[in-house]
Amino acid sequence: MTTTRTENGATSRLAAHSLTLAYDDRTVVHELDLAVPDGCVTVIVGPNACGKSTTLRALGRLLKPAGGSVLLDGTELSRIPTRTIAQSVGLLPQTPVAPEAITVSDLVARGRQPHQRWWQQWSDEDERAVTEAMERTDVTALGDRPVDELSGGQRQRVWIAMALAQDTDLLLLDEPTTYLDIAHQVEVLDLVRRLAAPAADGTRGRTVVTVLHDLNQAARYADHLVAMKEGRIVAEGRPGDVVTAGLVREVFGLEAVVVPDPVTGSPLVVPGAPWAPAPAGPTG
Amino acid sequence: MSADTAAPVRTPVRPAGYRVVRVGKRGRFLVHRRAGLVAAALTVVLAAVCVAYLCVGESFVAPAEAVRVVLGQPSPDELVVGTLRLPRMVVGLLVGTAFGIAGALIQTVARNPLASPDIIGISQGASALTVGAMTFGLTSYTVLPYLSVVGGVAAAGLVYAFAWRGGLHATRFVLIGIGFAIALRSVTTLFLTKGDYLVAQQAQIWMTGSLNGRGWDEAAPIGWALLVLLPAVLWAARAQRTVSMDDDTATALGVRLGRVRLGLVALGVVLASVATGTAGPVDFVALLAPQIARRMTRTAQIPLLCSALLGAVIVVFADLLARRLFSPTELPVGVLTAAVGAPYLIWLIIRGHGGRAGGNA
Repeated sequence: MTTTRTENGATSRLAAHSLTLAYDDRTVVHELDLAVPDGCVTVIVGPNACGKSTTLRALGRLLKPAGGSVLLDGTELSRIPTRTIAQSVGLLPQTPVAPEAITVSDLVARGRQPHQRWWQQWSDEDERAVTEAMERTDVTALGDRPVDELSGGQRQRVWIAMALAQDTDLLLLDEPTTYLDIAHQVEVLDLVRRLAAPAADGTRGRTVVTVLHDLNQAARYADHLVAMKEGRIVAEGRPGDVVTAGLVREVFGLEAVVVPDPVTGSPLVVPGAPWAPAPAGPTG
Repeated sequence: MSADTAAPVRTPVRPAGYRVVRVGKRGRFLVHRRAGLVAAALTVVLAAVCVAYLCVGESFVAPAEAVRVVLGQPSPDELVVGTLRLPRMVVGLLVGTAFGIAGALIQTVARNPLASPDIIGISQGASALTVGAMTFGLTSYTVLPYLSVVGGVAAAGLVYAFAWRGGLHATRFVLIGIGFAIALRSVTTLFLTKGDYLVAQQAQIWMTGSLNGRGWDEAAPIGWALLVLLPAVLWAARAQRTVSMDDDTATALGVRLGRVRLGLVALGVVLASVATGTAGPVDFVALLAPQIARRMTRTAQIPLLCSALLGAVIVVFADLLARRLFSPTELPVGVLTAAVGAPYLIWLIIRGHGGRAGGNA
């Protein structure tokens, strides 16, 4: 087992090497190199259609590379049985669909699939993992409710619980805050942060890779920020080092001022142009 | 007791509605409570329908006598029950079971309640080849059932191949299936109009699905097929759990979706084709049984065992009615299942359930 190291020396179990991704003939991601630092929250940001979700899908073997490779512990994903990958890498797609009328606890329990056998459909370990996942996401009280009847925020927490019950070191989340109001967005992101936090006994937290739309949220919650544009990485590193007015202009084509976030001190992007309030006095 | 163990007391979570059943040292199975109860109830209903089937006819036989015959004890009603009614009932039982399982599997993979073998071209493929053979003078009832299996499997293979686009697209699968069903039906009609009048009439009866004249010779092949495929069916019952999720989630959970789906469809197609070869396309059983079973059990996926039992109940009961309703004229059993099934199908469509995961509606 070989371990890749990132530029700043952190270990990395999951990495992409000159990864090229394409849909039919259209190349979306060009020879991308990325080492996901272990035990950190890595957030991929970029404008629409920059290939960020596509990259995440490839990291989770939902998309086969057109060129290059994705390595898990030094082995190409395509050479590892998909069930074995599922024991190390959990993935929550952008719009997962639950079977109709399924209950919350039933759905979360299905996250245990990669650890079960035909004759072992429920072990003590399964029970522990499901109980813990539901506690962490605060959905224990919803256990008997049908998923269809939940609010958007509750449903997203249930899906995250399912991915957590899978009990993997690595967790890939594809835009987990889409369709949520701001309070629920913060709730989900706080949860993501807690997942990556080291446990009380000092064991490393989970490695989380997520795609986010909101640059400010990315800067606030990421340990490692990856900015993409047109299928290439433009910059990566700690948000404080990466997020500058120059980067925002380059990646999003937006004039902005970057100030420290009054709460966390992380970079806060405030759009400056093209629109500015008109000077005082009636116009037109 | 040390203070360290004073962690908050947790209530362990189990999937709601399920029971963990231990078998031996290592075996642990999740059994849905309500589905278990429904299965038990359906077994009782099936037994009752079967006894009624054996008792009712040209001459009435007391239930106790009918049971004696089934148990192999000497009885004056040996001929009527044991030779005439019992073999035909067993064929109905097996055909219904096979259609019930086939419908459940195909609907699960297609995530659509309309995806039943008699809608997506499997029955039509079986009919086309069988009727074609009949019009070309092949009328041996030992060969025709096998041709029908070949026809059904070939039609399903074509539908599957055409619906494949770097992966199986569920809606495409159903729509292409319906298209193939129409095309194959017109091929069958062509054979019928070209063929001899008597042969055409015979073919017409076969195509309605009939248990008339079926006996132990027909029961043996389908019985063996079900027995041999039993391990695959047991595997399928578990595989249904993950296939009912969306593609990305199922893949993320380590399921080799392409293979699992192909396996489920292949199993369903073979069972439907064998059943069609035995009794002709008994319409709507494969469509109805899984959907009714799911409503009864309220499970997140179609319950396989209940679907099989319900298929058997429907076919045996429908054949009982078909034999007696216009006595002495016997109707083909397919006429009755269609009479009940067609309104249900229309109702399904009116309710507008296209198809989300898990073969809902």
